[in-house]
Amino acid sequence: MNGIQLAAGPQRTRWQRAGWQLQIIVAYFAQFLKTRLVYRVDFLVDLAANLVAVGVQLATLTVLFDKVTALKGWSFEQVLFIYGFSLLPLGLFNLISINIYSFAEHYIADGNLDRVLLRPVNPLAQVLFESFNVSGLNEIMLGAGIMGYAAVALELRPGPWDIAVFAVLVPSAALVYTAVFLGLAAVSFWFEDRLGLAPPIYNVIRFARYPLTIYGRGVQAFLTFVLPFAWVAYLPATWFVGGPDVRRWAMCTPLVGVLVMALAYTVWRAGLRRYTSTGS
Amino acid sequence: MAPLITVDRLTKDYRLTVRREGVKGGIVDLVRPRKRILRAVDEVSFTIDPGEMVGYIGANGAGKSTTIKVLTGILTPTSGEVRVGGLVPYRQRQSYTRHIGVVFGQRTQLWWDLAVVESFRLLQRIFEVPEDRYRSQMAFFAELLGIDEFLNQPVRKLSLGQRMRCDLAAALVHEPRVLFLDEPTIGLDVVAKENVRGFLRRARDTLGVTVILTTHDLGDIEQLCRRVIIIDHGKVLYDGLLEDLRRGPGHRLRLCLDLAEPVTAAALAAATRDLPVQWESDGAHRHCALFSRAETTAAAILSRVLAAHRLRDMALTEPAIEDVVRRIYREGLQPGQEANLE
Repeated sequence: MNGIQLAAGPQRTRWQRAGWQLQIIVAYFAQFLKTRLVYRVDFLVDLAANLVAVGVQLATLTVLFDKVTALKGWSFEQVLFIYGFSLLPLGLFNLISINIYSFAEHYIADGNLDRVLLRPVNPLAQVLFESFNVSGLNEIMLGAGIMGYAAVALELRPGPWDIAVFAVLVPSAALVYTAVFLGLAAVSFWFEDRLGLAPPIYNVIRFARYPLTIYGRGVQAFLTFVLPFAWVAYLPATWFVGGPDVRRWAMCTPLVGVLVMALAYTVWRAGLRRYTSTGS
Repeated sequence: MAPLITVDRLTKDYRLTVRREGVKGGIVDLVRPRKRILRAVDEVSFTIDPGEMVGYIGANGAGKSTTIKVLTGILTPTSGEVRVGGLVPYRQRQSYTRHIGVVFGQRTQLWWDLAVVESFRLLQRIFEVPEDRYRSQMAFFAELLGIDEFLNQPVRKLSLGQRMRCDLAAALVHEPRVLFLDEPTIGLDVVAKENVRGFLRRARDTLGVTVILTTHDLGDIEQLCRRVIIIDHGKVLYDGLLEDLRRGPGHRLRLCLDLAEPVTAAALAAATRDLPVQWESDGAHRHCALFSRAETTAAAILSRVLAAHRLRDMALTEPAIEDVVRRIYREGLQPGQEANLE
């Protein structure tokens, strides 16, 4: 039978394909920036709201440190540094991948996943990068400000090596965030959103902005090995403000990021297979 | 001609979770869900040739959307096989998407916040459409769909009709070989429907695209498709020409006569007693003959009537396609139509 034979698509190596997908992601981002520039007022309102939220949290910290000069051996400035640091990967995650947070609702319940599956681009890349959330930029700016202030107060003198480590740790920590919420999104292939886990877990992030040693051992273990938010702020930040005994764990952050992401991606793939075989 | 699309004993089962009641039931559901299997598509087979425009119709829940989802690669079948131009949609999904365009009438494929033109530019990037091809496609869409009037508006500000025109164009911007349309005229007013139908005719003739169309609006089918596949409870009820469906023995034409003098129905029945005709009367002057094309002709009836009576006016009406389809759902196929089933 000599029917019409459709081409199997452009022949690309794995790396060429990755490069091409990256170009698409950049195109998505450029489009997004263009639309957002139209809504400058929204951006300013977001910024103001964020400033207020962070201001309240900082005020709480200040009041707390008015009574106690140190928190389980951590000075106010050190706590402030970790707090500021925590906002950087969080901002990165919010900016780029917040889509994954509302995956169950937006993609499964509203049926947008079908549209994603009709395009020749990796479905996860589309979901992660299809839209962006500018308020993430606010968090990044605020975090940088707070961290910078704390660094000056602590008289930190980062060398070139520290800056290189910083440049690796922040995206690694953002990867941990993304992996956790990707895992939750993937679970919704089985449970839809009946579990409603994403909002409470997002709230747990707040606990992870402080030195974990202020919590009991159980909480520390939970945040390190089960819900790995220890790796989004406290552990990587200790590279800069921690004592030598905790500091060495900071360098494990990229490894943890990759591991958690690999795990989450495996669950995601299984979930996607389930979706295409059940349609629900 | 070798077929472009081959669907071979396609079957798709859904496992539905049957929810228990109450809070306790909800917890039990999480641990031990109660499942029920629903066969949405049951051993469906058909082939479609390049350039055909086929109407795929059925009631709600008949299995239309499931078939389309398998054909577009979104769903994997439980059993059976689908091939489109040598590709298996659900196994080579990402490559396959380059060759198909899909319009879901109820949902847009465009980016809600982007201006229309930006959506098209993104699609151009995603489907790697060369600039010259892109320009000529856009010119074609501007001419036939008038989308150039609102290219700079965000998609969410478009009316439903405008959005549908954009969705049609978006589905075709990469010059696919196959276009899947799921309810493309749903919710549109008469004028917008006509626009969409006119465009689809031109797209088929100009671009040579093969079209599969599901719809509730049988007007779409009548105006666009020579061939229809009717599906009900997951099975193919009819696959053949729309015309044959209408000419089948079970579907009767209506020949209405306006006579110059009053006549009784009995007199007309007597005049045509050698023909299989049923008379209905609407007053003494107006009478309608119901007959099947397979059994007799309007000419035969007329000649018998004219031999004895003077005619003032007459009208011959085809059965409405809605009635034909409704009848198939209700009664199944008439014996003469089974030949059309594969």
